Amino acid sequence: MKPLLSVKNVTVRFGGLTAVDDVSFDVRPGELLGLIGPNGAGKTTMMRAIVGVVRPTLGSVFLEELALNALPIDARIRAGLALSQQLVKPFREISVQDNVAFAAASRKTRTPATALLHVDARLERQSALDALTQVGIATYADQSPKTQPLGILKRLEMARALALKPKLLLLDEPLAGLNSGEAYALAQTIAEVNRQGMTIILIEHNLSEVMRICQRLVVLDNGRKIADTLPKDAMSDPAVQMAYLGGDKHAAD
Amino acid sequence: MEYEISLVTAAGISVLFALSLNLITGFCGQISLGHAAFFGIGAYCSAMLCKAGMPFLLTLPFAMLLAGGVGVVVGLASLRVRADFLAITTMGVGFLFVGVVRQQDVLGGEMGISGIPDTGFSKLAFMTLTLVLCVAAALFSQYIRRSWMGQVFNAIAEDEDTTRVLGIDVPRFKLAAFAMGTALAGLAGALYANNLKFISPDSFGFIESMTVLSMVVIGGIGSVLGVTAAAVVLSLLPSMFTFIGDYKLLVYGGLLFLMMRFSPDGVTGAVNRLMAKGKR
Amino acid sequence: MLFIDLIAQGLVQGSIYALVALGLTLVYGLLRILHVAHAALFTLGGYIGVLVTNQFDSLGLAMVVAILVSGFAGVLMYRLCYEPILHRPPFVALIASIGLFIASEEIFRIAFGAYGMSYKNPPLQAQVVIGFLSFKQAELLVMIGGALIIGVLALLQSKTRLGIACQATVTDPQMAESFGIDLKKVRYVNFFIGSGLAGMAGVMVALLNNLVEPTMGSVPSYKALAIIVLGGLGSVPGTLMAAMTLGVVESFGTIYLGKLLDRNAIAFAFLILVLMVRPQGLFARK
Repeated sequence: MKPLLSVKNVTVRFGGLTAVDDVSFDVRPGELLGLIGPNGAGKTTMMRAIVGVVRPTLGSVFLEELALNALPIDARIRAGLALSQQLVKPFREISVQDNVAFAAASRKTRTPATALLHVDARLERQSALDALTQVGIATYADQSPKTQPLGILKRLEMARALALKPKLLLLDEPLAGLNSGEAYALAQTIAEVNRQGMTIILIEHNLSEVMRICQRLVVLDNGRKIADTLPKDAMSDPAVQMAYLGGDKHAAD
Repeated sequence: MEYEISLVTAAGISVLFALSLNLITGFCGQISLGHAAFFGIGAYCSAMLCKAGMPFLLTLPFAMLLAGGVGVVVGLASLRVRADFLAITTMGVGFLFVGVVRQQDVLGGEMGISGIPDTGFSKLAFMTLTLVLCVAAALFSQYIRRSWMGQVFNAIAEDEDTTRVLGIDVPRFKLAAFAMGTALAGLAGALYANNLKFISPDSFGFIESMTVLSMVVIGGIGSVLGVTAAAVVLSLLPSMFTFIGDYKLLVYGGLLFLMMRFSPDGVTGAVNRLMAKGKR
Repeated sequence: MLFIDLIAQGLVQGSIYALVALGLTLVYGLLRILHVAHAALFTLGGYIGVLVTNQFDSLGLAMVVAILVSGFAGVLMYRLCYEPILHRPPFVALIASIGLFIASEEIFRIAFGAYGMSYKNPPLQAQVVIGFLSFKQAELLVMIGGALIIGVLALLQSKTRLGIACQATVTDPQMAESFGIDLKKVRYVNFFIGSGLAGMAGVMVALLNNLVEPTMGSVPSYKALAIIVLGGLGSVPGTLMAAMTLGVVESFGTIYLGKLLDRNAIAFAFLILVLMVRPQGLFARK
């Protein structure tokens, strides 16, 4: 099966620091891939290289056949990526539903000309409602994001990303800041979304949930890929054990 | 009657000018401290073309095109710099415009251009034209607000980075805002030149850029009604209270400061808050 | 001969710009506010310089009074105008500052008249000859005085507790507070020093031109903004170099490009060009 995303020999250097060192991996359509590693492993930098916030010093990223390296962030999103950010930032002056509808309007907001010519928001609001239902917060549609707890905002982030109807969804530490009950519930939702056909890369610290829902794990340590395995084999891999339990940790992130 | 007509015309031109800045600063959140330069480009363009024999109405689209074209260039330049620098870059553009125009004899140098030919419109007809264009600009602004373009502008103004992550081509939309806002300013400038029959570089400097910014800010950034009202009041203020005439700048500066200090979302914001309080 | 002369002239102008821009950069570095109203303190210093010298016939006294009054006026500005709006988005402070500046220029005009004031017996006008060049004593004062002050400031910033405290409040205010640094005091001191410098610059410029008038602050204020952007916002050495560079660029520019652009346009054309090539400023550390 052809990979959906191909990361080929990506190296990212900042000044004298090598944050990501010759990392390669593929993501297959329909997979729920976990990208894990201890603090400073380079996960965030790797994700930034995929999304386009940083340029790789070496190597390239391909979405199906499309080379992403030269494209700015918004072009990559339009090509089929979607990102759910770690620091949730909803638009504060509009409702939860309108936040998601904005994302759903990506066809109409492609260019200023098309955006100017379209006023009707009914289709997008319906799509928004569908996305909100998918993540389980449809009842919050008319609420203001300003008064919502973190758990709801995390789901809003996801719904916004889903409303873009992406080929690949990147989730940056969606469980961070949630208590164990909320984390379990959100992880279930993520697994369900994947079951419905969405390809997902999940970057997470919360190992128990990651083990539970991911079908494959890519483990980074000090910028290098040290394992690419099934979850059940990951923890018995000596390299992974070394990374998490012993040795020096550099703050490369 | 003649005096009243000229007042209304002047107010109308101010409103048009203020609405044009509102598109850039109000809707899209890009602070411009040099907007008077585009007003000036439109004024000089129309003045020169009229003196060369072109019929007045025909000069209007040219004025808009030239101002909008330069606006796009400035917009492109502004994309490279971050927010803090944008204000200073646009201020620089304003000074650059005045500085260049002052030194060109073909543009009248320091003395400016005088004896701009008759437009063929009566005073009343000119006023009507100005008001019609004002209303059109206001309606257009309102339409933009309701459209998806308005939604994108709001998003960019609130959080540019998140907007990009949602797949919006932010630079292109910013350029669109600049192009529309500067073209409209050019139109206002052309009207200004033909109303006054005389223009000089001094009318398009930093103070003028601040005056129009104060109309947008005091009215309430983004609010079409608020900006219109503020433009009308501020442009008529010196004539309504003649003793203010000498203190005009003091009033503008003071109002600007007080407004930012106590109600940064302008009069519109203050009114909204009062209405919300009244409901309880 | 002309070449060196132009450079010298440029350095004199640059020193004045530097003195004004320094106060601005201190405030920006501290609060991320573009404190345009800063130039009003420059004008204030100039007026006080002339008034006190004319009254008491002592330039030294005038200098001291100007620095003190400007310094306190600056702190007052911070207290009344900026402190209450620190939590708002940055453009609020910028526009408030511009409004304050415009209003203050008008107040000077209304209080002292539009045509300005001069010294009855302008001090330090004698010419001094050094090598090929001839300077007015006042010009030497500006350059040397400026250099001294900036040197002292740079030393203070890196060597004293207060200076280090200032830097800490910029990089991490909460951390600084937990170390017992009084944020308010640091900010007051910063404003006082910056504003005092502007006042001093005002007195010096009054000496150079033998004129103070209400709008004398406009050009330095806008140029100072351009300078701190060029110099890398918040950096004292960067600001200094940018100020000198701008002074020299203007000096050469007015001679060679004077047909095309006036002095201000040259300054801003330079700024815009630099920003296009290096969007973070000329001397900014990456």
